Amino acid sequence: MTIDRLSGAFLVLLGLFVVWERRVLPLGTSHHPGPGYAPLLLAILLIFFGVILIAGGKGSPRLRSISWPEAPQAAAILACCIFTTLLMEEIGYRLTMFLVLGFLFGVMERMKIWLVLTLAIGFSLGSFWLFDSLLRVPLPRGGWNF
Amino acid sequence: MEVSFQNLILGFATVLTPANLLYSLLGCLIGTMVGVLPGVGPLAGISMLLPTTFGLDATSAIILLAGIYYGAMYGGSTTSILMRIPGEAASVMTCIDGYAMARKGRAGAALAISAIGSYAAGTLSVVGLMFLAPPLARFALGFGPPEYCSLLVCGLVVLSYMTGGSIVKNLSMIALGLMIGMIGIDQMSGYFRFSYGLVALGDGVGVVPVAVGLFGISEILATAGSPDRREVIKPRFRDLLPSKQELKDSVGPIGRGTVLGFMIGIIPGSAHIISTFVSYALERRMSKHPERFGEGAIEGVAGPESANNAASEGALVPLLALGVPTGPIPAVLLAALMVHGISPGPLFIKEQPTVFWGLIASMYLGNLMLLLLNLPLVGIFVNLLRVPYRILYPTILLFCVVGVYAVNSSMVDVGIMSVMGILGYLLRKMDFETAPLVLGVVLEPIIEYSFRQALAMSDGAYSIFVQRPISAVFLVVAWIMILLGLKPLIKKTRDWRERLTEAEKSA
Repeated sequence: MTIDRLSGAFLVLLGLFVVWERRVLPLGTSHHPGPGYAPLLLAILLIFFGVILIAGGKGSPRLRSISWPEAPQAAAILACCIFTTLLMEEIGYRLTMFLVLGFLFGVMERMKIWLVLTLAIGFSLGSFWLFDSLLRVPLPRGGWNF
Repeated sequence: MEVSFQNLILGFATVLTPANLLYSLLGCLIGTMVGVLPGVGPLAGISMLLPTTFGLDATSAIILLAGIYYGAMYGGSTTSILMRIPGEAASVMTCIDGYAMARKGRAGAALAISAIGSYAAGTLSVVGLMFLAPPLARFALGFGPPEYCSLLVCGLVVLSYMTGGSIVKNLSMIALGLMIGMIGIDQMSGYFRFSYGLVALGDGVGVVPVAVGLFGISEILATAGSPDRREVIKPRFRDLLPSKQELKDSVGPIGRGTVLGFMIGIIPGSAHIISTFVSYALERRMSKHPERFGEGAIEGVAGPESANNAASEGALVPLLALGVPTGPIPAVLLAALMVHGISPGPLFIKEQPTVFWGLIASMYLGNLMLLLLNLPLVGIFVNLLRVPYRILYPTILLFCVVGVYAVNSSMVDVGIMSVMGILGYLLRKMDFETAPLVLGVVLEPIIEYSFRQALAMSDGAYSIFVQRPISAVFLVVAWIMILLGLKPLIKKTRDWRERLTEAEKSA
């Protein structure tokens, strides 16, 4: 399987998905296009581009040629993003950032514990003070008001 | 509103207040830092710092954010010259001769010429922006929905051609971006589209989470685990003065780079990057000693560095006069203006003269500040380069989260940022460009609105887009670009766009 063929297939599937999901939106007429008119046109375009990529993708690099040396670190960073998304409003900005930074500095980068604590506490509290207290950008405080 | 002495007075009266001077200075300094640090581009910088402008009025906010934008162009050269790593993509070409000069002990001269060229190009481009934007806006006042729709379609197609890589992939990214831009309430009928019961998606997917995810988070993901040790050449302060010969050799390249950069900057696409390639190629071709290029030719620094600064300011012409961003960075600037209740477009200069002329005046002063500050502070910026990446990337992640959350105080936006981060990371791996996707998201509401209005005007006749001359011209240009983009695919040849993609990857 080549990169272009896989991405082309994905575009075709996405286009078909949009066509299917669009059915609940009125199409309208060309005189008065409804909310489903433009999505349908775009879905057709996506399918068209997908088919071109599949048809012309024989010579593109193979999927196996993509290297993923950074994948473990990337997965950990991604996990931090998801953790932040799910918990920041529940436990507050400062605690979330302390945990995320502590994990990245301590577990991922294996820094010394005193440096991890200094950086994690410094950045989480410092950024909260800068944005929330100084610049009046409200950041979540969580259930414990922290 | 034409360029007049009164308008300039208005602009300088706006900017010459202690607060606005401070914001201009701050923007320039932050921009330089953003440009210096590899992995933190101006786009991520502006997005991350957008929340800091919420308490400011619109003029101060745009002065600060624009300062970050053009300041980053100055800063990018420092890393290129001293480390042979482009601080941001527009400084790729500076790596070649800038670093070669640094190896020969002429790092100071390269930095000085880069700063002087950037200053000259930046200032002359503001003159161009000042004279070109108002008449262009006046011309665009005559645009109806068909012209506007065709202009935006043309802009997106030109962007997909100029961005480099496969035009089919770029066009599919535009379609995907437009699709993402459709999520939320349809502004003409009030229907919820593709929001799956999430009320937070009613307002649609914001530009800031999309841009930060695609450029900031995906960059962090892609560079995770990269080596931490970097060799930095530290220039001595007394070496910062270029020789007379170096100054003389730089005059021509700076002038040519400015004109080229400004003209290319107006065109949608990776203008600030393309302009440096064109400038470097031009200087090499015009040189009596082309063999010096790559070995430390001052022209190879002066031309591209002037061009990228001129291009970044040229990109403000269509943004401010037409409301059409030509790349992801102007798109985020557009979003920032909208956050502050200002919609750039043909009426912007007429209705918001204080903001427009204040911005113009701030750019004159900002370029001067950058010239005066950048050289003496080069030691500080060099120290910034010594901050290990393992400390830097968690900090960038923190700023990304704050920047995205603060726009709407919404965790859904943080979630969108994360999803876009994964998408951007995968798209990079599969050789897709993400800039067209961002532009698609930004422009979707305007394109769809004008498209549906145009069809309603013509009783459903698509011919309205070719019957109106201006609209027809835009569509013809779009077709030409598509055909040019397809040419290398049909003939199986490499063109300049593929080389651009390779250079961007190496950056």
